[in-house]
Amino acid sequence: MVTTSVATPLTVVAQTATDVTLPAVLRTMRGELRDSSSGAALRGAEVSVTGVMTRRIRTDAAGHFAFSQLPARTVRLRVRLIGFTPLERDIDLGPGNVSLSLRLGASTITLDSVTVVTDARADPLSGVAATSTIDAAELSATRGQTLGETIKFLPGVSVIQFGPSIAKPVIRGLNSQRVLVMNAGLRQEDQQWGTEHAPNIDSFDADRVTVVRGAATVLYGPDAIGGVVRVEHAPVPVAGARTGDLSINGFSNSRQGALSVRAQGPGVRLPGIGVIGYRVRLTSRVAGNGGAPDYSLSNTGFRELNGSATIGIHRGWGNADVMLSHFGTELGVLRQAHAGNFDDLQRAMTTEPRDSAFTYTIGSPNQRVEHTTARVRATFTLPNDGALEVTYGSQANHRREFDNHGPLRFRDIAAFNLKLFTNSIDVRWKHGLQRGFLGTIGSSAMIQGNQTRGKAFLIPGFDLSQAAVFAQEEYAIGRVTLSAGARGDVFSQTTIPYSDAGIRSAAGTTRWTGFSGSFGSDVHLTSSWSASARIARAWRPPTVNERYAQGVHHGTAQYELGRANLTPERSSGIEGTLRYAAAGGSMEVAAYDNRINGFIFLQPGAPVLTLRGAFPGYNYNQTNARLRGVELSGMITPRAWLHLTGTANAVRGTDRVNGGPLYDMPADRATVQARVVGFRPRLGNWYMGVGAVLVRKQDNVPTGTVYALPTQGYVLASADLGSAQLSLAGRRIDLSLSATNVLNARYRDYLSRYRLFVNDAGRDLIVRLRVPF
Amino acid sequence: MHTLIRRSRAPLALTAAAVALMSCKGDSITDPAGEAEVISRVTLTLTPPSGAAVSAYIDDPDGNGPTAPSAQVGTLSLPAGTTFTGAVRFENRTVTPVENITDEVKTEANDHRVFYTVSGTGVTVTTTDLDGSGRPLGVTFTAGAATGTAAGARTIRVLLCHYDGGVAKTAAATSCTAETDIDVTFTAAVP
Repeated sequence: MVTTSVATPLTVVAQTATDVTLPAVLRTMRGELRDSSSGAALRGAEVSVTGVMTRRIRTDAAGHFAFSQLPARTVRLRVRLIGFTPLERDIDLGPGNVSLSLRLGASTITLDSVTVVTDARADPLSGVAATSTIDAAELSATRGQTLGETIKFLPGVSVIQFGPSIAKPVIRGLNSQRVLVMNAGLRQEDQQWGTEHAPNIDSFDADRVTVVRGAATVLYGPDAIGGVVRVEHAPVPVAGARTGDLSINGFSNSRQGALSVRAQGPGVRLPGIGVIGYRVRLTSRVAGNGGAPDYSLSNTGFRELNGSATIGIHRGWGNADVMLSHFGTELGVLRQAHAGNFDDLQRAMTTEPRDSAFTYTIGSPNQRVEHTTARVRATFTLPNDGALEVTYGSQANHRREFDNHGPLRFRDIAAFNLKLFTNSIDVRWKHGLQRGFLGTIGSSAMIQGNQTRGKAFLIPGFDLSQAAVFAQEEYAIGRVTLSAGARGDVFSQTTIPYSDAGIRSAAGTTRWTGFSGSFGSDVHLTSSWSASARIARAWRPPTVNERYAQGVHHGTAQYELGRANLTPERSSGIEGTLRYAAAGGSMEVAAYDNRINGFIFLQPGAPVLTLRGAFPGYNYNQTNARLRGVELSGMITPRAWLHLTGTANAVRGTDRVNGGPLYDMPADRATVQARVVGFRPRLGNWYMGVGAVLVRKQDNVPTGTVYALPTQGYVLASADLGSAQLSLAGRRIDLSLSATNVLNARYRDYLSRYRLFVNDAGRDLIVRLRVPF
Repeated sequence: MHTLIRRSRAPLALTAAAVALMSCKGDSITDPAGEAEVISRVTLTLTPPSGAAVSAYIDDPDGNGPTAPSAQVGTLSLPAGTTFTGAVRFENRTVTPVENITDEVKTEANDHRVFYTVSGTGVTVTTTDLDGSGRPLGVTFTAGAATGTAAGARTIRVLLCHYDGGVAKTAAATSCTAETDIDVTFTAAVP
């Protein structure tokens, strides 16, 4: 007999009961949902459970819901119904099946200090926009890899990759300054305009990663014109025991080792402040040269050392925390990709790659980046289930890129040396139900300064300031939920002049103001089916590199020239999503059509001649673009022990001015996976599976430049085997073995920036171990 | 609503503190050192067995900037039957004093080689200096048109090759297979 008490923070609670004493392979969770004040059954509430994948269903007319075939471990339950306080709880299914009696209400009982509350409305867009979330359990399957690698199999997501060390997220064909990365509630400001500038984030810190596909500018600002990748950290524990864990990963391909150690707990008592919770983490990743099936990829190793410390308090008025983190990396850039001029580049492209010996040594060219973040966040609990959240962040990013040119005595001087300082403050008022409306009203301000030093000019120094106000509200009418948002932004960009022969002096201040808006609706068709549609208008001012870049791009010998008089991009898009969720499976189909006027891109121009020889010239230019696509994802469980999952993505980018394709569009892709799962007392929750990634050739490419040459299709097989909570030496550990590119296929992905020179990585065997202490 | 306002004092204070902090942002500057790797002039000098040397140069005042290099200044003449001793000079003239990059090339002789490619028939350029390992360097050379060479225009392409990152410098190489530091073409005439 197992009894679980579910104390929802803001409700009168819960009785529970249940049935099973023997360990079963899979669990069932049933529940009944009622209004806490009237006791009436609540129909149509969205109930989701995140275990392996998120499954969503609606309560029926009697307020009942049921999930079967859930993993026998802790899952996260979320209940959400317009007009009521959302509920979010971790439910441990390890001991047995669970049946819950839940009550939702709008009462204002003081927060129980033991409870950690996560606001379900952190994601106001999840109803109408296509979003996908990877939770901690799923993240554990990709621990030790970059953020980009972690999310690259989500629907609508792909990555621009520079070997094993740099992976840049691409959402629906857009990347860099068009995709916002939020880390722990702060906009990640790390010279994100460069495709070879990967997000400077410790992927071990991620407790949950949410990807919003499509324009989300109302809540996140203009650089979310293509989508958002939101990395969330776990809340700091304010009660419970001291805990911690040690994660160790090994990768055979690049002989990478990753180690991350975390300790957290409540119980530090400070004079005058009282009890505070804390978490500290230290992560290190070290890798040598990656390997394609026939040769090593010269100079593609990396070394990363990160640390973070967070303290938090929880009081009657709300909670507050302070986080300090530092990310440091040094990574090599493929030597073949470093060309003196265009002739060198062509030779590198047509010559078989040299078989360099394996080494952990990082030579030139390379990048060294340090990113330091300080964040102070306070959330004040307001009556009627409201909250006021204030977040202040300060970020310093120091990026140095070392090349392989010039006399030796200058090799230790960075070719590009950029320091970016960012300060931001965000205030969000999340109000409870007021006259039928539920939503968020907020403001945001940011000030940024950039220093350009180093041997060579790439972008000028600049000052940027930005301010915005926004509101996102939703209103429910029966089965339909309407959602609308609006935002106004003001930007001021001042570039610092520099006079030198040939370097165009970029002086002066430019201001832009713009408006974003979105409107959507979400309809519950039946208890299993729901559909949503959304239209969104968004804009984005040109960035400093688009206006003033001047110089040869590392790794491509591309001579980039900015255009100072670029105008903002303006997009208007429509998208629709159809969702099905029931006990035996779930499915989601999303389609979109997005037009971006004034789309800024690099257009091949006349070659640039210098004494070094000729470089292919690229000029920033604008056109009218159209991006259309379809994303499909689904999961079925034909047997309790068998999970079949699949995704498929296709995106088409068109230059509406000349009718041709856009640059850098991902190839069509599908993934399939079959997994057998089970439970044994000593073995824990075990699983084994096989999967495949199928990528179509990318031949829908612009002509007239070698950089857009088509790539062939390919198939990669993968396999994994592991267990969560395996008993070993008296401890419950997580252990997994996996293999990617099992058949050691030779392939070149279209978004791999090294595809002109070398094949992508071959077979990789990975061991992941997590030991709690 | 009153509660909201009352409760908002704490965040206001925090906001004020944050704004104060925000005013201490970094001093934005644009200050690339720029000069370290620029070669802005390549000069070829031809000295006849007797008489005065002649030279010609090509300038690129913006170094690696987008403005194309200048036309050749000075003319090179290679009368049939005369062998000249030649030298190439690489300079960075965007700084004061002018930097002699040829010295850098000589210092790193094991990592560099200058290749000369002549168009047309009859004119040959042969490098005469060696690096520390006995492989050609090419800062000095001999150039001449064989007796009886037909008159006409020729071009001499000067390519400074930089060996690094795994490509070995070999004595037998006839073209650059590593990185190109300089690639410039002079015209010369056989009168």
